[in-house]
Amino acid sequence: MSLQVIENATCTFCGCVCDDIQLHHDDMRIHKANHACVLGTAWFLNHTAEKKYPVALVDGREATLDEAIEAAATHLHAADMPLVYGMSNTTCEAQKQCVALADQLGGLLDSHTSL
Amino acid sequence: MGGKVTCTLGEVKQRADFIIYWGGNPAECHPRHFTKYTIMQKSRFLPRGRKDRTMVLVDIRETKSAKAADIFLQIRPGKDFELITILRALIKGQPVADEQIAETGLSRAVVDDLIARMKRAKFGCMFFGMGLSMTRGKHMNSAALLCLAAEMNAFTKFVAMPMRGHGNVTGADVIMRWQTGFPFGISFNRGYPRYNPGEFSTVDVLVRGDCDAAFIIGADPGATMPQPAIDHLARIPTIVLDPHVTHTSRIARVHITTAPQGIAAPGTAYRMDELPMPLKPALKSPYPSDEEVVRRINEAIARKPFWLPDGRQPQMVATLG
Ligand code: SF4
Repeated sequence: MSLQVIENATCTFCGCVCDDIQLHHDDMRIHKANHACVLGTAWFLNHTAEKKYPVALVDGREATLDEAIEAAATHLHAADMPLVYGMSNTTCEAQKQCVALADQLGGLLDSHTSL
Repeated sequence: MGGKVTCTLGEVKQRADFIIYWGGNPAECHPRHFTKYTIMQKSRFLPRGRKDRTMVLVDIRETKSAKAADIFLQIRPGKDFELITILRALIKGQPVADEQIAETGLSRAVVDDLIARMKRAKFGCMFFGMGLSMTRGKHMNSAALLCLAAEMNAFTKFVAMPMRGHGNVTGADVIMRWQTGFPFGISFNRGYPRYNPGEFSTVDVLVRGDCDAAFIIGADPGATMPQPAIDHLARIPTIVLDPHVTHTSRIARVHITTAPQGIAAPGTAYRMDELPMPLKPALKSPYPSDEEVVRRINEAIARKPFWLPDGRQPQMVATLG
């Protein structure tokens, strides 16, 4: 099967955020990441579209996405002082949702920067 | 870090003829920094590329990056702040005793040479890494270096920039600044954002046991934080969103697998110079994106009655949707 090519893809592994990566991929995985460095190549090649993990785990058991979302909402809603933390390996769009989450919970909001 | 004297990496690539890396190891942590943005590039203003540029590395040990440097300055651990302060004094011609310089591990001749080169440069740029911002002095070190960059502008063009790692941490800073006015360490518990690192920063909160639930996204504190913090995460209901089942997932009550950003999830990520870059995902993930899951959690919480007397949600700054 011939591979599809994406020109000028963006690598988010380190703060350089190189936006000149040429990705050769099929439906399942990326086979080649031209221009990327060793770290970037490992980052692109190690993630696949396989279903390696369960969609969600609730109390250690496999659960559906809907159940997990409801469980998460219930725990966060019940808490007096919930903490929203991380946001390094995610998109700005998701980060904005995280700010909204901490805001409506009246909770704490923090990132890697504080470490 | 608002108000810092900085620029974009494009300007560095075009113009910077004098580059200092302080407490960072780009050769191993940001492998394409040299070739793409700093010392190796030829430009209209620096047509001979590497030959037109000088690179200085300041660090406590000789890392792989030292090979790329023209000048390597090995300083004593924990003496960054002292050295920056000495430089700030000497550029203005204020007296500094020999013993004070010797304490940093450098000689007066080396420091004088560095200052002469800094002043001779047409465009200087200082990149500082975790070796500066995460060691003794922490953000005071970063603040001192940013002051030095600002003060150097009395002589020539000088800027400074943090070498951020870890995917999109820069984006997190920018988004929080945009939405709340503060970059991290924020509390909404009075209904409006307050900023106080040390009180609201995660390690401190967890070690003191101050929070009673945790929502962790795009990070793995279970692998990186001190044990008392991890113990607290295991005690309280913890919710994890990650493309992998992480150390934190194993102690969490809820784990949701999400699509990895930039590979299977679209969106935006910020470069270390605070330029937003669009992502071009190559794969279709069987998992939802972080954005979708957090939005749905937000919606699920919004459907629940809240603790304000009239049952409203106190939504102050950020909008849902
Ligand atoms: S390709 Fe290498 S240098 Fe560029 S963003 Fe990815 S990890 Fe960083």
